[in-house]
Amino acid sequence: MKFLLDPTNWDTSIPNSIPNLFLAHLSLTLISVAVGLLIAFPIALLVARFRPLYAPVTTFASVLYTIPSIAAMVLLIPLTGLEATTVIIPLVAYTQIVLIRNIVAAIRAVDPALVEVGRAMGMSAAQIQTKVVLPLALPVIIAGLRVVVVTTIGIASISFVVGVPSLGTLVFQGQTFAYNDEIVAGAILITALAVGADLLLLGVQRLLGRGQATTLASAG
Amino acid sequence: MATIEFQHVTRIYPDAATPAVDDVSFTVPEGVLCMLVGTSGSGKTTLLRMVNRLIDPTAGQILIDGVPTTTQDPIALRRGIGYVIQQVGLFPHMTVEENVRVVPSILGKSAREMRGRVDELLTLVGLDPDQYRARYPRQLSGGQQQRVGLARALAADPDILLMDEPFGALDAITRERLQDELLRIQRELRKTVLFVSHDVAEAFRLGDQVVVMHDGKLVQVGTPVDLISHPADDFVRQLVGADSTLRQLEYLPVTAALEPQDGVGAFPLSGETLPADSTLLTALLLLLKTNADKALVIDHGETSGQVSLNGIYRAVRTPSESATAGTATGKQG
Repeated sequence: MKFLLDPTNWDTSIPNSIPNLFLAHLSLTLISVAVGLLIAFPIALLVARFRPLYAPVTTFASVLYTIPSIAAMVLLIPLTGLEATTVIIPLVAYTQIVLIRNIVAAIRAVDPALVEVGRAMGMSAAQIQTKVVLPLALPVIIAGLRVVVVTTIGIASISFVVGVPSLGTLVFQGQTFAYNDEIVAGAILITALAVGADLLLLGVQRLLGRGQATTLASAG
Repeated sequence: MATIEFQHVTRIYPDAATPAVDDVSFTVPEGVLCMLVGTSGSGKTTLLRMVNRLIDPTAGQILIDGVPTTTQDPIALRRGIGYVIQQVGLFPHMTVEENVRVVPSILGKSAREMRGRVDELLTLVGLDPDQYRARYPRQLSGGQQQRVGLARALAADPDILLMDEPFGALDAITRERLQDELLRIQRELRKTVLFVSHDVAEAFRLGDQVVVMHDGKLVQVGTPVDLISHPADDFVRQLVGADSTLRQLEYLPVTAALEPQDGVGAFPLSGETLPADSTLLTALLLLLKTNADKALVIDHGETSGQVSLNGIYRAVRTPSESATAGTATGKQG
């Protein structure tokens, strides 16, 4: 606790102070998840429509997921250097399998009868997607996003090995200097970030799932 | 207002041995509530779904006010036709208000423009707008959901309403209440309604016109009285319960048992009277209640004859001959 309570560790003018590492960790996570979504979303829409694509796409994304994160980052150093990009590329790759599978499942779970009602009301194909399918799928998509965000926060912690700061820096430094207090502080902060992000998304999920009893029940 | 005309409509599903709908022709006049009845698999739902082109006919055509539906853009066509289905019809992620204004909103009407209209529609279907506007469908009972479904179908003021077993999943009491509401609303709005039902009692209760389908073919079109008094074949006879005495009493007009009045001239028989559009059941109940042998039938203020227990007995024994004289619609009130 000494490390966490020491005011010098909270001094924003010091590059590796807690607030700066926290922001660095947060931005690695947000960028990775955002880019991951931008890639996974159109792919998932395509896969949901053309089912034969499902097996090859998810197989490829699963293979990406099996690459060890440290290996991936180290291998990228010659290409992207000791930069945030070196961390973000593997993080984005790891989001794909969960995001794609989850978005496809969410879209497929929408009751076809409701799509049919949308058609019968005179909705165009685009209106059926934006007014019926996506709003109904969104709570489920957010549920998958929660898993992805928590995983990404965890993996981002090893960015230190390629010289990119994150809350993981505290853990590695603590280990180097055999300073257990710093290791524990790092672990607590990473966990706090993950739990906080998860609860925030849970709130969003519940808000979007108003009216849908099943989502509320499964969100608990 | 709109007339729907089916001309040799046929629908064959791929890989199906027999057509789902086989050469069906009939016309639903403007403002008529037409009931499509038949066993499951008789093609009635397929026929309904061809009207707003959720399915297209394999052969034949459907004309709305003389214009073939196949020449119209399906999306524009559907926006002008109300649609109500059983159960899951409401969008669970939308409030009652949002559900009701789905069609106007895709037609470009804003929420503000529609506020008054939503309230008006909810009131029309018997829901207090202040209480229900902001609720989600799962916060409503089945009957209330179906009322919202009806309000939504009426939102853009379509001339045609398609209803696919809308009350099928409701309990008997709620169903009856909603049937009454539908009749009240229909008296007010006079839409051309096509209503699929597998429940003959419902069809007779609601329908101005009843279409009986069997194995994709149209078997008979007529008023409930037509079907009971002149069933086209044994299938119709069985389906409508033409042999059931109670059914006959319920739907045959009192005029089916009309006899010349006893005691003519300056000394007419006095006693109980009945309007000529009553059913035999009403007549029978009156006679039983008053312990009278006969009652006078009054048509437009004039006594047109009398009805007796004997007459009723004869009428229900031989419905096909005696009902020909009938003019009543078969619906009470």
